[in-house]
Amino acid sequence: MANRLFSAPRLAPLLVSWEIASHVGLQFEIEAKRDGAKFIEAEHMLLALAADPDSDAARLLTESGLDHQRLASALHEEHRRTLAFAGMTAPNNGLVEATELESSLSLGTSAKVAVRRALIASRQDRPRRPRLRSTDLLFGILQAELGTVARALAIAGIDRAALMSRARGSE
Amino acid sequence: MTPSPLDGPADGLAAASALRAMADRLEDAEVERAMRAGWSWSQVAEALGVTRQAVHKKHLRRLLMAQIELRRRNGESAF
Repeated sequence: MANRLFSAPRLAPLLVSWEIASHVGLQFEIEAKRDGAKFIEAEHMLLALAADPDSDAARLLTESGLDHQRLASALHEEHRRTLAFAGMTAPNNGLVEATELESSLSLGTSAKVAVRRALIASRQDRPRRPRLRSTDLLFGILQAELGTVARALAIAGIDRAALMSRARGSE
Repeated sequence: MTPSPLDGPADGLAAASALRAMADRLEDAEVERAMRAGWSWSQVAEALGVTRQAVHKKHLRRLLMAQIELRRRNGESAF
């Protein structure tokens, strides 16, 4: 029940803009804004899934040792390591604080790709009832072999492929 | 073969992406700071090395939201 986030048709607009309104959807945006990002990316979706204790995706993440706090720490470390490669450290947030636009954030490329992959998986697994579940979205996010999420999971010592299989296999 | 998400080119590509995002945030913050300090659009554009129109297009909406008093080209208040 809690696993069925949105029906597939309502997710279609997600591919071009951020229009759905559910508590998890809103959480995507909260996570992105907290990160100071201009777009919702896959890592913000992952954080939002982890933040929703009722979702099956959060249960799978927690079972793998990834609660919201640990995930946020892993992403923070990924950012630190990435900047260190360029000889930089993250600036003090107060120094780069700009007024935020009040409008909704759009999906960034990594988030669009994750949603597309989630939709494909849900249609393949349940062609008669292709409602998108939180575990579909988790699967879609984890499919990216490179990029911020894959890097953060590798830093945290999480077996991304194993977690992906569990997300796909869950019912 | 799937390359490792860490090390080698993966670190460098991630850094390029992170720096781009950081540069965007820095520009937003510093344009806002300059305009609060009374800089004109032309001065901000010159400092950034872009056209006045480009700065205007990219930042006007946010600066209006921040309720910053913006100057016209002749130095008078725009609002």
